[in-house]
Amino acid sequence: MSHRGKHRILMVSDFFYPNFGGVENHIYYLSQCLMKLGHKVIVMTHAYGNRSGVRYMTGGLKVYCIPWKPFLMQNTLPTFYGTLPIIRTILIRERISLVHGHQAFSTLCHEALMHARTMGYKVVFTDHSLYGFADVGSIHMNKVLQFTLADVSQAICVSHTSKENTVLRSGLPPERVFVIPNAVDTAMFKPAPVRLSNHEIVIVVISRLVYRKGADLLVEVIPEICRLHQNVRFIVGGDGPKRVRLEEMREKHSLQDRVDMLGAVPHAKVQSVLVTGHIFLNSSLTEAFCIAILEAASCGLLTVSTRVGGVPEVLPDDIIVLAEPDPNDMVMAITKAIDLLPQIDPEEMHNRIKKLYSWHDVAKRTEIVYDRALKCSNQSLIDRLPRYLSCGAWAGKLFCMVMIIDFLLWRLLQMWQPDRNVEVVPDINLRSPHGEEKWDFGADEI
Amino acid sequence: MDEAPIITKGRYTYVHDVRIGSPEAIDVHHISISRSVTDFLSLCSYALRLAAACFPIFALMQKTMSVYDLLMLDKPVAIVFWSFVVAGLLIRQILRKQVKKESVIILPAFGVQLETVYRSGKTVHQFVPIDKILKSVLNECVTPVTCYWSLSLIIRGEDELLLAFKGLYPPITMLVPIWKALCAAIDDKKGADIPSDCDNR
Repeated sequence: MSHRGKHRILMVSDFFYPNFGGVENHIYYLSQCLMKLGHKVIVMTHAYGNRSGVRYMTGGLKVYCIPWKPFLMQNTLPTFYGTLPIIRTILIRERISLVHGHQAFSTLCHEALMHARTMGYKVVFTDHSLYGFADVGSIHMNKVLQFTLADVSQAICVSHTSKENTVLRSGLPPERVFVIPNAVDTAMFKPAPVRLSNHEIVIVVISRLVYRKGADLLVEVIPEICRLHQNVRFIVGGDGPKRVRLEEMREKHSLQDRVDMLGAVPHAKVQSVLVTGHIFLNSSLTEAFCIAILEAASCGLLTVSTRVGGVPEVLPDDIIVLAEPDPNDMVMAITKAIDLLPQIDPEEMHNRIKKLYSWHDVAKRTEIVYDRALKCSNQSLIDRLPRYLSCGAWAGKLFCMVMIIDFLLWRLLQMWQPDRNVEVVPDINLRSPHGEEKWDFGADEI
Repeated sequence: MDEAPIITKGRYTYVHDVRIGSPEAIDVHHISISRSVTDFLSLCSYALRLAAACFPIFALMQKTMSVYDLLMLDKPVAIVFWSFVVAGLLIRQILRKQVKKESVIILPAFGVQLETVYRSGKTVHQFVPIDKILKSVLNECVTPVTCYWSLSLIIRGEDELLLAFKGLYPPITMLVPIWKALCAAIDDKKGADIPSDCDNR
């Protein structure tokens, strides 16, 4: 299935363009860089409103928006076996060699990985978030993850903290988990051409204003900083349920001229907001990696962040000031950052980040994971079932039954519509000069 | 008539005719679908299941209904007989809607004629003048359970694409030569009309 060591990869997730976020950007940039390396990448996601069917993005990235409507928080309705026919059709017609699923919270990802394993394809999973262990939602999520990862070829996590979290939640052996950090598009996130004066210090906050992102901490920290330092101004971008609390705080302390609330900032405008500031404040309560602070550092801002999750692994110690997720500690950290500001050179910071992080590097490392995954041996259903049995006393038996039924349904589908009846898509060379489009049907067509 | 190249794939057969016409040759592309053994068997099983579904409906009909005496529904034999009659009528309706052959006839400088021939013998024609066709496109259609190729025409002033093959799902290897022929015919017409048609050029 692969041509000269090049792979044909299917990326699956419920989270993709036109939504913007960490997972969406990761899939897009990784796909673009893998295509530059010569691999063929196809993305599968659910339909977004009218956006349904096959779409092509930059560089010929083909996206299948399958018409399964999302039912809860952007996730497709989990029907266990409902997506088997369409996934099988896509895997055969595109001659996929490897399936790469993203995000533990995506139901489409779990279903696709399950069906791909049943059909004998190699499977890679990337986890982008940290999850808890204690509440009901997390317990169920972790069980589902255990089921999916029981038989995955390789797994990728975006930080060492995330690897620890994933290994504990899923019971996967650590040697099968790779750590490949996210990266940032340094060509897009550049510092301001003219350096800002330090007469008035501007602190920028851009995040979704929800509990998880520490919006409640901001409500305590902002008035205290404004009281202690008269020359400090805040710019808050983003929207969410906690926005009301921040507006109330502004009214209560009469900070309308010192705190600007921008509302939701489109991703394309984030850089223009970041370059108006000196310091970037991140108050998340949990974060597997945090691309936001990387974007801020690429724009030459000094970062102040809570010491949670994978945040300490992202930036070198001299361009980030860490604090506990406690208002007093954060106020001290911001004061320390304001004192450090004269020593910061935005251009030098940007060049450092450029050397440390690049999506091309992420793609090369991911390629190594794919090569490793494809070297795993092919196993029949009987050999794979014991892995599911070890998931738990009752859960193990349930998972085995689910996989056996999936296998039987697959065989039934093969009898009804044999593999050879599914037409293979010809390779269309979109980069050829305008004129004759070449249709390469391959040797097995007429 | 020139020799007609034939491509057969699965149940679909593609025939390309070039007829002598005036002022230029008429390009005709036919795609037909053959009946298979599984089709016949599935029809029989479908008929049996429909008949079985009709049994309870007839059995539960009340004595007070006027058709009860007419159809003699108190006898079990009559119920079975009428169930098969109803199932047979429904199957006949389904068969009538089945498409036997679809054709795309390209009349250079005039337009494109789309023909659909049903199993019942009925033929439906649709003519599209060449001026109204903007472009012909090969689209991948995605449904919740499958994905297939379709050949469509973009018509000026219309929101929706016009499908060239409405009842059949031919393989891409058969659609490509038809698409190329359509593009050539549309481009020839655009080439002749360059002074008046300057939207994109």
